[in-house]
Amino acid sequence: MTNIKGRIILNQLKVLILVAILILIGQQIGYGVSIIDAMPGMILVILICIVALIIKGFTPKLKFPAFAWASLIALILTMPFVPTSKFILEYTTNVSFLGTTTPILAFAGISIGMKVARLKELSWKLIIIAFLVFLGTFFGSAVIAQIVLKIQGLI
Amino acid sequence: MSESDVIETRGRFSIHFKLYITVLIMVVITEFIGIHKIPVGPGTIVLLPMLYAVIIGILITPQVLGKPIKILQKVISSKEVELAGGIVMISLLPLGVKYGTLVGPAVEKIVKAGPAFLLQELGNLGTIMIALPIALLLGLKREAVGASVSICREPTLGVIGGRYGISSAEGTGTLGTYLVGTIFGTIFFGILGGMAVLTGLHPYALAMACGIGSASMMTASSASLATAVPAMKETILAYAATSNLLTGITGLYSVVFLALPFTNWLYKKLQPRIQKGKEAV
Repeated sequence: MTNIKGRIILNQLKVLILVAILILIGQQIGYGVSIIDAMPGMILVILICIVALIIKGFTPKLKFPAFAWASLIALILTMPFVPTSKFILEYTTNVSFLGTTTPILAFAGISIGMKVARLKELSWKLIIIAFLVFLGTFFGSAVIAQIVLKIQGLI
Repeated sequence: MSESDVIETRGRFSIHFKLYITVLIMVVITEFIGIHKIPVGPGTIVLLPMLYAVIIGILITPQVLGKPIKILQKVISSKEVELAGGIVMISLLPLGVKYGTLVGPAVEKIVKAGPAFLLQELGNLGTIMIALPIALLLGLKREAVGASVSICREPTLGVIGGRYGISSAEGTGTLGTYLVGTIFGTIFFGILGGMAVLTGLHPYALAMACGIGSASMMTASSASLATAVPAMKETILAYAATSNLLTGITGLYSVVFLALPFTNWLYKKLQPRIQKGKEAV
């Protein structure tokens, strides 16, 4: 059992390292962040990711995704009154936010390609409704947020 | 194949190799093209590398360009597509960490805006008021309920699937919105994020709206919004990530206890009026 889990985490670590290399190359080209400068921050990021994957691996019943764990750990470690905050922020600033997004969407694009054929089976009416749903969700939230933030005097 | 088997490297070297090299080429090309901002009045259409990446990704798959260009299938076959699906979940993690490092330092600001965060979650119900009447006008029946109940990410798929069955009329509707979101969501929200400034709504309010319960759609909309309003970048990204985390927690319950009962109620009210002469189902 632990052996299988170990194997899974090892495979996940390999993926993380390769993705990290893709990010480092991408942000060197796109945002001029030198690979060497970004390396320590990237190692920190991978360490947090691995911790998130391990927690997720041991809490299969909890419906809290590894993405949320990764976010939560980084959040706690960088709160202003936590001693690790300064150290982690100093290094992770060299990992550009946009740089991390490009490989994700490249993989995501390839993975959804197979679903394109299924789109043809859908009625065009459902496609129109879907776009209205997107707009409704987005602006519904935005309008309420605007009103509440105004009342609170935050904007 | 389960998610953990897909990323197994043993005996699958060539699949991994082909996919990573392809993505490396895509990253190099898209980052080389870089960010392009097209001003539209006070709004901005923001074109980010991730937007080109998702489009190229869809195009090179076997059922799209792979169909006429057979040689492409030698590189990206259904096996590489399957592996890409397994990698997405893991490749999201560095972004998750990055979001955490944006929220952490802003934690005080976020607690202050707490009421706005909680109440804007109800805004997700706005979708029903807009989409349901139009779905009925288009002649949809119970599909309308499934399609307009929410933005239909995985939790909704689970709820509707459990209640009505995924092959029911309601299930077809939910699956439709889910599928359109999966394929066009990042592209749609990537463009909407920068354009939304045109409405005159405050970027902070728009940032909260970016958290719709899908990490990739939230990333596309908030990155585009932050690029359009660079002076507020940090807060925009922090607000969007927090709101998305919150939607991830509340989304399921909001569908079960609020959105679905409300959609059914509104359907009963509107269906006989809009679809006169057609019997209610």
